[in-house]
Amino acid sequence: MTTHAPDHQPTIRPASDEARILPSGEREFFFDVATTDLEINMGPQHPATHGVMRVLLRADGELVTGAQPHLGYLHRCAEKIGENVEWLQYLPYTDRYDYLSAMNNNLGYSLAVELLMPALEIPRRATVIRTICAELNRVASHLIAFGTYGLDIGAFTPFFYAFREREWIQALFEKICGARLTYSYIRIGGVFNDAPPGWLREVESFCDVFEEKWREYYDLLVENHIFVQRTANVGVIPREMAVDFGLTGPMLRGSGIDFDLRRDLPYMAYGEIASAGAFEIPLGRGEKGTLGDCWDRLYVRMVEMLEAIKIVRWCLGVIEPGPIIGEVPKVIKVPPGEGYVGIENPRGELGHYVHSDGGKVAIRCRVRGPSFTNLAVLEDLMPGTLLADSVAIIGSVDIVVGETDR
Amino acid sequence: MDFQAIVDRLRAASVPGIVEADEPRPADKESKDKGRSGRPFLVVEPGALVDLLRVCRDDPRLAFELLIDITASDPGVEDPNFWILVELLSITHRQRLAIKALITKENPTIASATAVYRAAQWHERECMEMFGITFEGHPDPRNILLPDDWVGHPLRKDYEFPVEYHGISCE
Repeated sequence: MTTHAPDHQPTIRPASDEARILPSGEREFFFDVATTDLEINMGPQHPATHGVMRVLLRADGELVTGAQPHLGYLHRCAEKIGENVEWLQYLPYTDRYDYLSAMNNNLGYSLAVELLMPALEIPRRATVIRTICAELNRVASHLIAFGTYGLDIGAFTPFFYAFREREWIQALFEKICGARLTYSYIRIGGVFNDAPPGWLREVESFCDVFEEKWREYYDLLVENHIFVQRTANVGVIPREMAVDFGLTGPMLRGSGIDFDLRRDLPYMAYGEIASAGAFEIPLGRGEKGTLGDCWDRLYVRMVEMLEAIKIVRWCLGVIEPGPIIGEVPKVIKVPPGEGYVGIENPRGELGHYVHSDGGKVAIRCRVRGPSFTNLAVLEDLMPGTLLADSVAIIGSVDIVVGETDR
Repeated sequence: MDFQAIVDRLRAASVPGIVEADEPRPADKESKDKGRSGRPFLVVEPGALVDLLRVCRDDPRLAFELLIDITASDPGVEDPNFWILVELLSITHRQRLAIKALITKENPTIASATAVYRAAQWHERECMEMFGITFEGHPDPRNILLPDDWVGHPLRKDYEFPVEYHGISCE
């Protein structure tokens, strides 16, 4: 570990030998206090780092003068494993990088492999079920972002409400695939299990209840005066900085840049949904403070939940019976080829670069995680802020350490 | 713009170092070519990569504002080259561009793109530790995911798994 060597020891000495005589007759000395920057390890076991991450903060009193994220505590060699196991065997590993949005990870990997298999046809019903699951998972993931962000700031209650609704989504996923967190449900070629009877109706009733509850959560936390005071004008990311650091997802839209892969570079059925006008892209507007502050980023995530529900409703309207998986052999051999596929995860663009030589195992399986890239902005964002705001800023980046470290 | 139009635009801007456009092709039985599926790549000279990225970012008709990813690939033990793969995204024109540059395994060195895109910084650090590629001019060339004292470059195809690490047996 690197430690900052102080340039000189703190000393307290009179600035001059001459003392001033006060009107009361007392002698007053002036002291010159030399200070050095204090280095603080935030983490690896810190509740606000949302996992095992260490940020080396340098503080001059209450002022942060430097921040250096140290990653790798959760590195599990996902890309190396991808080169050593068969295509389908790698799918459960995708669950484990961003474990709060495992459906989206499954989807990103499946789409990347399907890119190399142009002969494989994805049935319509599979596409619609995939979209429903991906969007429900987006809601679940943003609920965690919203709940834990309140927790970071010091608001305990929203966390429990967020988990109550997330619990319902997990129960829905458990009914469709048997798992609550690491699903491996969206497979290469489609999905592995059809929706059980009554599942779609339950999704609809979840949508009804959630839309009602959403308003309460919004008033409870996002519009809360204390919360606004803690997050508005804090951690401002201007547009140029957001673009330069390659931020994606709510981080980019929080800075007012109107870009969403689901609408602008559509995959699956999203082009159709966007042209039907079924959903909108919320943007940060600097409503409570400056454009691109922490509040804007949370606002974008909050509204995205509602928009995701709209997409789910659209899907429920068009779903029809049919096959749920294309013709996929037991042992998948992917034709030679290579390509990159990026999808809109709750945290930004999740990219997979896959390269096959025609065999059962990938030559290269690259994962581009959104949390990893978004986190890099901390080095520039933190200097100049107050120590108490550092938690608010790290929370607003909404990282999942499983993904930064992979 | 589609891929061909982007390449034409780059050629019209007389950017040096463009080698070829590597596009997917169907299998051909006669020449025993297995074909290639996937996405098209623009293959460039490694020495010209940074200049090309600058043109991609600054040309108003291309406007690739976001650097999405920089990574490398080791195609095989026998292959003499590493591939550097760059993925760009344009917010203005809603398009992507994938760039590939080949560097030799004897001298795996390439100029850093951090001067053009700050986003390159962490991706290049990851590339450095995983493949042992040197990015010249990188401001902070430390390991990012691996410990500082890790031996070897794990994503190279000739990487040997360690037997032990700090007294912890890996077998």
